[in-house]
Amino acid sequence: MVFLTIANWVRSRGPDEFWRKRRMFRLAAHYIGRRRNCYSVTVRNVHRALVYATKARKLKKQDMIDLWSTRITAACEQHNITPCTLKQGLDRANIMLDRKSLSDLACWEPRTFECLAAVAKQKMEYDGAIDYTDKKYPTGVNLKLQDVMLEAWLKEKKQ
Amino acid sequence: MSAAKRVQQWATFARTWHIFDCKWQDPYESANVIKKYLMGLHKPIYHPMNDCGDVVVCINSREIALRGDEWRKRAYFHHTGYPGGATWTLAWELHNKDPTMIIKKAVYRAMKGNLQRRHTMERLLIYPGETVPEDVLQNVTNQIRQTRLVPTRLDQIPEEVSKAYPKVMDYPEDYILK
Repeated sequence: MVFLTIANWVRSRGPDEFWRKRRMFRLAAHYIGRRRNCYSVTVRNVHRALVYATKARKLKKQDMIDLWSTRITAACEQHNITPCTLKQGLDRANIMLDRKSLSDLACWEPRTFECLAAVAKQKMEYDGAIDYTDKKYPTGVNLKLQDVMLEAWLKEKKQ
Repeated sequence: MSAAKRVQQWATFARTWHIFDCKWQDPYESANVIKKYLMGLHKPIYHPMNDCGDVVVCINSREIALRGDEWRKRAYFHHTGYPGGATWTLAWELHNKDPTMIIKKAVYRAMKGNLQRRHTMERLLIYPGETVPEDVLQNVTNQIRQTRLVPTRLDQIPEEVSKAYPKVMDYPEDYILK
């Protein structure tokens, strides 16, 4: 264990009250008023802050994902393509870029992103896919109608 | 294209001025579109902390269209802060009072409530008619696409055009038009 502070190295062995409180006060050093000076108030606030910090570790990631999505949506709008078509087209063209890389490209290298959008659009056109559904391969194309529907119902006279 | 030019972007942080014609538009639907330009959500450089929003000029706000009977049913709430100070103003009353207010409130409500919202709203300019001050109009470089088609009324079609339109049938001679 590395102790950068000599005082900690000397007195950190026992559960001494002063040093235990000092640890809390160190965490509350940037607070103002009684929140940094009175231990009973400090400890409540520090605990709450630590809980927030724990939760924020997840929220930060989610926030970044939201920001990337917003940027990609904005860039997609400039090139007249929807984000889901872009994603689908790039996946089909075997260009495996995640949202972070895509948004970085959209932000810093707009011409690269323009090309990616064009690739995705062209790939979707080749595949004959419009909005997630592949029009060249409609669902249920291999099914025979007789297998699905009752023969009697088919032969039944309709009005 | 050379390697240096590939990433070159001109006027990325410039404020663009957009114009939006509110004629026959649903204010609550177009608020979402206007919001996007005001906050800069249409730019790939968007970040909530950077000031990349544009200016939007709304014209013809007097001629907005509300859905169904919302003119009579939608009420705008205001409270003066004193006891008994609550008022409910119907949409048509508010529109008669100030033709820019409905679109303004719609855009304000479309945005998330934070400290930036009131500053962002400063960049929204609304004019009830088609007359826009010259110093505003000279900055405008882009038009925002309307969300709905503006319908043409029969009395606005020239008579020659409506006469020349193919007819399905003639009214019987003894038919009385109301």
